[in-house]
Amino acid sequence: MKFPALRAYALFYLLFLYAPILLLPIFAFNDGTIIAFPLKDFTTKWFEQMFTTPALAQAVKNSLIIAVSSSILATTLGIFAARASTRFAFPGKAGIVGLIMLPLVLPEIIVAVSLLVVLLGLGIKLTTFTVILGHVLICTPYAIAILNTAFSSLDRSLEEAAYDLGETKWSTFRLITLPLVMPGIISSVLISFTISLDEFIIAFFLAGSEPTLPTYIFSQLRFPKQIPMIMALGTVLVLMSVILLTIAEYFRRRGIAKTGGTDTGGFL
Amino acid sequence: MTTRPPMIEFQDVHKYYGDYHALRGITATIRAGEFFSLLGPSGCGKTTLLRTIAGFEGISSGAVMIDGKHMAHVPANKRPTNMVFQSYAIFPHLSVAENVGFGLRRDPRSAAEKTRAVDEALEMVGLKGYGNRAAHALSGGQRQRVALARALILKPKVLLLDEPLSALDKKMREQMQVELIKLQRQVGITFVLVTHDQDEALVMSDRIAVMFEGEIAQLDDPETLYRRPNSRRVADFIGVMNFLPAKVTGESNGHISIEAGGLGQVDIEAAQAPGKISGGEAWVGFRPETLTILYEGQTAMDRETPGTVEEVVYYGDMTYYDVRLDGVDRPVRISMRNVFGRPVLDIGTRTRVAWSPGALVLFR
Repeated sequence: MKFPALRAYALFYLLFLYAPILLLPIFAFNDGTIIAFPLKDFTTKWFEQMFTTPALAQAVKNSLIIAVSSSILATTLGIFAARASTRFAFPGKAGIVGLIMLPLVLPEIIVAVSLLVVLLGLGIKLTTFTVILGHVLICTPYAIAILNTAFSSLDRSLEEAAYDLGETKWSTFRLITLPLVMPGIISSVLISFTISLDEFIIAFFLAGSEPTLPTYIFSQLRFPKQIPMIMALGTVLVLMSVILLTIAEYFRRRGIAKTGGTDTGGFL
Repeated sequence: MTTRPPMIEFQDVHKYYGDYHALRGITATIRAGEFFSLLGPSGCGKTTLLRTIAGFEGISSGAVMIDGKHMAHVPANKRPTNMVFQSYAIFPHLSVAENVGFGLRRDPRSAAEKTRAVDEALEMVGLKGYGNRAAHALSGGQRQRVALARALILKPKVLLLDEPLSALDKKMREQMQVELIKLQRQVGITFVLVTHDQDEALVMSDRIAVMFEGEIAQLDDPETLYRRPNSRRVADFIGVMNFLPAKVTGESNGHISIEAGGLGQVDIEAAQAPGKISGGEAWVGFRPETLTILYEGQTAMDRETPGTVEEVVYYGDMTYYDVRLDGVDRPVRISMRNVFGRPVLDIGTRTRVAWSPGALVLFR
């Protein structure tokens, strides 16, 4: 620590990043509708209000349906893509993989607007189903990125050995490949779930009259009275996200340790 | 050996990867019960050839037969072969016993019989009582043994070994070489070994196919391969060989007269030229141990040429001398066993070197 300037920079960086998040629980337990210091009494009534608002319950339900469906779908698609891209060489492979990964860097608003235009053009009604489609699109690249690591750290001769010992291609996949990449699969499901759960733009454009949790929160911000409850909700969400990502990272690392590979990155 | 029936036959096997011609017309026979090695530098096609036996690689043309049957439409999981992989490919999520018994999953025998088979296989490779260990906790040598037991438990007709010892340290490797030879004699299965290590091939094999660039350059037993390599390239790959330019001056019923690079006129037998000699310019080769430095009072049994020691490399049990023989334009390497009481020569020492025309090999 010879450079005090660098140290200060690091401290400010962390403060800027996390101080606003730390404010969430502070005001979530504050007995006052105005988000300002000084704090008033300690209360848990905002959390109670959360559980007695039917619209919020409906938004949570929608979001959970979307997040579960799109994380499972994206991971399933990711398994096929990751296996193909790590095991086989085929013409146009780099281009195809690149196109699949593109939504990672495309402005989400562009994706959302284009999807909306296409769906309306096709005459498809906007429901949670259309949000699932959109979320699968943006979650799949993340799933592939995670699963690529899992598949490529898998020694190919393990599959050959099982096949050589009399198993079929399918039973080899079931007995050897799947158990060894399972940590990657779990990690991919959890990360896709987290991304879908707090995704706003696509949900805003494609949800129709069925709000998801983020779009519901956004709509409630217009009512000052609701803000403390949103703070309570935010606290719960932050906690859940941290827990989910920690579990995902645990499985990702365990997967690498299990197959004897070396860690080549990841999201955390 | 010659009475043994063929186990694996390659008939003009070609393999292309796109434009790359990986196997260029391999025709060879591996006999039943033989310890056979495919030896060559990396990229020579030896592993590809092994994988065509296992069924992991298809072939572009030609035929691979195992025990008299065409393998063209037989997938790897139906072939009477099992493989020990270079990385051992031990299933990391299974125990040692589960690994060894993996191939018995489709076996109709009872669970108790299978357990006994696994125990026997583990005992055979010296891992008795290791069944409950986790596979990823094993050392390199132990993984090697598990891979062997796992492949041998199915009693294949052919065991394929893809550089199985390359990941082990020198001591362990030498120990495993001896164990593999013993194991092969015990089970009597045809072993096909891929290696780039010429010492390993010489030590272990009944016969060796030396491969360069997708072709078999020479297929012989270790002694013939070492004593009578059929090309300078094979000679150079197997051990150390001194080469001197030579001229063929005459050929007559089974004898060749040559002018051997400053050593004078010598007559050799036709068998000492295993490659085709078209007359004229040629090369003679001789192994370092076929030359002997003569000490005072010793006389040569055959020929003798004086020379000067130019380099000395001391190996403990052996010393390598580079000696410039009078009349020869380049130094030759001589290996001498160190004998107690006889000092190692210094650089610059004048000496006499004994050699024998019978030990020469003539190359194109």
